[in-house]
Amino acid sequence: MAVRKFQRKEKGINMKYMIETNALSKKYGEKYSVKNLNLKVRPGCVYGFLGPNGAGKSTTMKMLLGLVKPASGEIQMFGSEIHDRNRMEVLKRTGSLIEAPSYYGHLSGRENLEIVQTLKQASREEIDEVLRIVRLEGQQKKKVREYSLGMKQRLGLAAALLGRPKLLLLDEPTNGLDPAGIQEMRELISDLPKHYGMTVMVSSHLLSEIDQMATDVGIIDKGKMIYQGSLQKLHDRAKGSIRIQVLNQAAALRILEEHHEPCTLEDGALIFTEREAVRTAELVSLLAGNGAQVTGVSEQQKSLEDIFLALTGKQVSL
Amino acid sequence: MWREWKTEWMKVRYRRIGLIVLAFLGLIVLWITWILSGNDMEQLQDGYEMLFMNLPLIDTILLPTMIAMLGSRLCDTEVKGDTLKLLCTMERKGRLFDMKLLTGAFYLAVFVLLQTVQIFLTGRLYGFPGTAKPVWYVYFVLQIYTVSMLILLLQVVLSFFFENQILPLAAGLFGSFVGLFSWFFPNGNPFKLLFLWAYYSELGFIGQDWDAVTRISAFYDVPFPFPMLCFALALLLIGYLAGKRLFLRKEV
Repeated sequence: MAVRKFQRKEKGINMKYMIETNALSKKYGEKYSVKNLNLKVRPGCVYGFLGPNGAGKSTTMKMLLGLVKPASGEIQMFGSEIHDRNRMEVLKRTGSLIEAPSYYGHLSGRENLEIVQTLKQASREEIDEVLRIVRLEGQQKKKVREYSLGMKQRLGLAAALLGRPKLLLLDEPTNGLDPAGIQEMRELISDLPKHYGMTVMVSSHLLSEIDQMATDVGIIDKGKMIYQGSLQKLHDRAKGSIRIQVLNQAAALRILEEHHEPCTLEDGALIFTEREAVRTAELVSLLAGNGAQVTGVSEQQKSLEDIFLALTGKQVSL
Repeated sequence: MWREWKTEWMKVRYRRIGLIVLAFLGLIVLWITWILSGNDMEQLQDGYEMLFMNLPLIDTILLPTMIAMLGSRLCDTEVKGDTLKLLCTMERKGRLFDMKLLTGAFYLAVFVLLQTVQIFLTGRLYGFPGTAKPVWYVYFVLQIYTVSMLILLLQVVLSFFFENQILPLAAGLFGSFVGLFSWFFPNGNPFKLLFLWAYYSELGFIGQDWDAVTRISAFYDVPFPFPMLCFALALLLIGYLAGKRLFLRKEV
């Protein structure tokens, strides 16, 4: 429902993407932190922005928010190209939590939110609403310097939710949270599109986290986008392969070539892309019946971790 | 603009900035009381001249420190709480810089206003024989406020750029010493123009002759140095534009 709601025209513009960047780049000195990034975030989705530490996730999000000036490239949000004149207007419809939460330690949680509420020109009633969403009602009068990191993070999320934004940018929102807090935050983020009609872009270096929250995913490494699409498609990629071990490898390869069956060799075994059980049985019969001497058949399941490793060449936290 | 201005006052809640300003003012009142306590009626003949001469001197010593504290109190909350990355998505970065300056300028305006009231009341309380020329009050405000704003500008920039607020505060203490020594150098000395804190003495409009034998000070009017005021105001404008540009270029 939420997705459909967002696919309506906004301000007369048929918006295909909530965020779209074209060859977005950022350079520090001679080194590119982000290079030619083409980001596409669909309305109403939870977009998981995944990458190892230092991949360029925060820099990208800061560029989207106008906190960092891009070296080149274009940014479109809500269907409009972002430039200095319209940035604040566009950001009014956006909430953000970048890296560690921002707060005034000498003020209470509620007083912190009152500042954000005033700047966003939101109603005072919204403060109670966001405090309830992040479950901080009971701690609202306490000075923020006395908050735990988890509470500060939730306060940061509450600030981001003020003004009922249509787009939420969250950079590593579970950093520093305990396991219970992480789970709570994940559930909260996953529910946002459904309950509040928001589009959420959330970054993380944790694959499992993105797997639990996101519907779409973008994988960035060394400033470059190496995969972008639905999480389902990534899962499809993670589907396994069939491994057939034979004693007569030469005969097996000849038979496969004659029958146009592509395969790869790995540690002396034949590797096939995953297929239906019937087709696997046919393949085994074919090899066994033509003297390849089949000694074993097994299914290899690739994890998302393997996919990530194959894409980035780096270990990622689980 | 009003909502940004309003939030600045929401941020400084519990920061006791007003108390700091009042504490410095109280210290100055005590200092002046101590100076005047040793004088008889004859010596108070030039009471107003003495005040318009001594108050800027005392301000030179104390205000750089007070302004450093003021600038730090206004800006360190943003630095400590890493709030710029949130604020800059809700208000224009340049506006935030302006609001900080404006809030500081407000505190300084209250301070200078209270000082002029202090001069007036001191004259009444001690029954200074003469009267102060009304224009002296105007010159006094121009002298103290212009230089204090220059120092505030510097301190706000320093406080925004250094996470550790020791450095901006050290700059304030350094300014107090430089300012004090500047009174021993004649006005118009180009070396003095290099230091903002020396401008308090440069903008002085009362001169003093001290007779070492009789140990009596004689005060006299000096034409208000309008060219110097124009120079200070031009510097304030340039400093504001440069400081704001620096702040705008700072990535958060």
